[in-house]
Amino acid sequence: MPSHRSDSSRPFVTLAVIAVAWLLVPTAVKTFTRATFFELTAPVTLAASRVRDLQDFWSLRLHSHTDLIEAGRDVARLNSSYELAVQQNTELQAEVGRLESLLRLPSYTEYRYEHARVARREFSGWWQRIIIRKGANFGIPSGAPVVFTGGVVGRVSEVRAASAVVELISSPEVRLAGVIEGDSRPISFQGGVNPTFAPPTGVVEFMPLDIIVTPSSPKRLVTSGFGGVFPPGLTLGTVTRAAIGTDGLFQSGEVQLDARLGSLTEVTVLVPVAIP
Amino acid sequence: MAKNDPHFADRSGSLLESHKGYDPRIIFFYFLLAALLLILGVGLGYQQLTQVGTHAEAERQQNQRRVLFPGPRGYIFDRHGKLIVGNEHQFAVLLHLDELKAELQKEFYRIRNNYRAGGDKDIPDYSQLQQIARVTLVQRYLDQVNTIIGRREQVKTRELRGHFSRQLLLPYTLIDNLNPTEYARLIERLPVRSPLEVFATNRRAYPYGSAAAHTLGYVRPNTEVEAEDFPGDDLTTFKMKGTSGRDGLEKWFDSTLQGEAGGRIYRVDPSGYKINPPLVTRTPKQGKHLTSSLDIELQQVAEEAIGDRVGAAVAIEIASGEVLVMASKPSFDLAKFSPRASQEVVTDMNQRGAWTNQALNGFYPPGSTFKILTSIAGLRRGTLTTDQPIVFCDGRIMVGNRSFPCDVGNGHHGNVLLADAISQSCDIYYYRAAEMMTPDVLAAEARRFHFDRPTEIELPNEERRMTVPDPDWKLRERKERWFPGDTANTSIGQGFVLVSPLQMACFTAAVARNEVFTQPTLLHQPGRTFHADPIGLTPEQRTALINGMAGTITHAGGTGRTLLTPQFRIPGITVGGKTGTAQLRVNKEGRVGTINIAWFICFAPVEKPEVALAVMVVGDTIGENFYASTNAVPVASMILRRYFAQKADPTPRIIAPFKTE
Repeated sequence: MPSHRSDSSRPFVTLAVIAVAWLLVPTAVKTFTRATFFELTAPVTLAASRVRDLQDFWSLRLHSHTDLIEAGRDVARLNSSYELAVQQNTELQAEVGRLESLLRLPSYTEYRYEHARVARREFSGWWQRIIIRKGANFGIPSGAPVVFTGGVVGRVSEVRAASAVVELISSPEVRLAGVIEGDSRPISFQGGVNPTFAPPTGVVEFMPLDIIVTPSSPKRLVTSGFGGVFPPGLTLGTVTRAAIGTDGLFQSGEVQLDARLGSLTEVTVLVPVAIP
Repeated sequence: MAKNDPHFADRSGSLLESHKGYDPRIIFFYFLLAALLLILGVGLGYQQLTQVGTHAEAERQQNQRRVLFPGPRGYIFDRHGKLIVGNEHQFAVLLHLDELKAELQKEFYRIRNNYRAGGDKDIPDYSQLQQIARVTLVQRYLDQVNTIIGRREQVKTRELRGHFSRQLLLPYTLIDNLNPTEYARLIERLPVRSPLEVFATNRRAYPYGSAAAHTLGYVRPNTEVEAEDFPGDDLTTFKMKGTSGRDGLEKWFDSTLQGEAGGRIYRVDPSGYKINPPLVTRTPKQGKHLTSSLDIELQQVAEEAIGDRVGAAVAIEIASGEVLVMASKPSFDLAKFSPRASQEVVTDMNQRGAWTNQALNGFYPPGSTFKILTSIAGLRRGTLTTDQPIVFCDGRIMVGNRSFPCDVGNGHHGNVLLADAISQSCDIYYYRAAEMMTPDVLAAEARRFHFDRPTEIELPNEERRMTVPDPDWKLRERKERWFPGDTANTSIGQGFVLVSPLQMACFTAAVARNEVFTQPTLLHQPGRTFHADPIGLTPEQRTALINGMAGTITHAGGTGRTLLTPQFRIPGITVGGKTGTAQLRVNKEGRVGTINIAWFICFAPVEKPEVALAVMVVGDTIGENFYASTNAVPVASMILRRYFAQKADPTPRIIAPFKTE
């Protein structure tokens, strides 16, 4: 009888011993274990992503020639418009260079662009993030801004050997200083609490009272550049609603973010270049 | 012996106590024990059943803390809806101490262990170690902020100690003057989940700088934040600093402007750290807005026109008594009082004498402007007529046994009628008029026009230094008897009579309305009208009086002819006024002598009066020729010009600074 009682309590004792042992393990070991776990699972994530790419490739192969020709034409049109934009940018850069030389300003490139494919998207009520297929192997640092054609994607929150985690701007963990397009006063932007399948939103605080925003006349919110992390002028979203706070000093508002944040496949990491 | 003792049983190797079956003495202990248990039970029952409310209340008071934070103050607008006092934000970075509890403990042990490891014999005691840990940790967070914004701020040790002991539930302000770039950098670089918080506090803002500083008043920080109908009056309460009005409209209407305080009630742990979320929350509400009667554009014009001199200008809307302008110089920059004035500012204001609201509490002899009152007194008593000269002005007149000169113009006005006496400000006429009436008559008329009492305008600290002298007053205050020369002096606004610019403006508005009194107000209420008793002049008398005042500007010998020069003319508007230059004996830097006070009262248009003015400028040099026509009249001209220009074209304009002679 006593031995039977001992047998039945053995799992709990074992669990307790393991828990105590884990508590006593040094923090460095725990951190290493956690990092190792992620590094071990990372190849699986990356492999799955590549398999999906392959799957997409074969599904595209099944398209008819007509579809491919149409797609080719669309691409050609896009290319021509992008070529025009590139030409304009070149002219603008030349103008900037001329002004810099006139004003004797030092000229340097602030960011290096690292394009990366999205390996996985993790959206939930707690976090909004993506995992990209580039990490420390491409010199991506933690905290680097990430952008896409629609504006700001988020910030790199964790860097692994061959992958990195990007916290999206729809996450409450991301906060940055934005400005209303055409204005110069910084406004605090923070990701909102976004349910999994809902359109992504954020919130703005400390918005000056003289900025009038209504659903019929929304205002574009862009990065301010004052914070020193994001370059100025990148689109964050559209402020669609604002209400005056109880202190009467500022407005708070809601920002509608780009719906494409939920279906990103390619992003660009802005890797800061050390200032000479 | 043991063997024979019935209380012991024999066992190998030991002696055991044995009990007999029953001992009657133990019954006593049963009762004793039962009584004790009963007392305990009753006590417990009493505490648990009847005192439950008291204990619950004590537990509540011990475990809950209340935090009150003030609501923003209401705005002050001018009569046209322009914001003249508002609130502006000031970004600050705060540290939530209640989130540092675990870190503080770690820091405490780390520092103590360091001391021990170093073999230090003089290890600080517990409270010292605690303070070192607090300062070290807070400085670490401050350094984090310093790194981001590039500053070198240091923790104020004493302030931090006080905060920990008295304000633990409130966040500690690390830096309270962040500029927009620093604010943006912190927003972007501080972790979202950090005990550091970027916060916006609010302070008074003055879009028009020092304009109307004395009238608007200033605020000072205070901790007397009260939240009506907010529960937890009996709880230990922490109050965040608010502000209260200390002068001017800010003080008079403090209860209106004061916002409704918000508050939170937290449960706290035994160390006093709060446990989120709060049990009760109430958001603060902004105070009510105030629409003042001031016209801020006119106010700026008046202050520009007075310039760096000591002086005041008051403009009143005649129909309503609403004060359009209440300028007082020297003035001060209201922004320097927000959040509080530094010692340098206070010293500077003391040196310049800028604390005094000259319009309200600058009491000076009114000089010849008082002749309007003397004229009214004489006309009402029948001693003066409109069509009969009472004296021939040849420059001097004997009053009693003293010879009084005519100080105005060429001093030889000849036979003048009342209207000419007013326009040319003939002293001899009024010395004679004074001889013809008693000092009591003159004083009674002055009292009828409320010269003997405060105006009761909505401003705090209105003084009662105004003086309407009569024989009783002189005997009472100066222990001297009244001389005929005193009446003569009073009749021309000299001697003992003292009035403020506000009183003179009210008087002018009352005369323009043909009434005896104007109640000034600093609140704007569209359509408001004010009426008092009529002066009691016949139409002929009133016409003569008004013609005299108009003649001050238009008559060839008028003392206010400056108003007709191209520089100061008001196109298309007729003005009725009266100049005055009073003398005041002063001791300036050890030199005793007389300085002049230049006055000008007026109203316009003469045909249908709308606005009344009183301008007073104090000369700053002993013996200087400082006249109303060159010092006070130009100020009035600038105000009237802008008033009528505004009326003709009410669209807002940019005010360009200008200079007067």
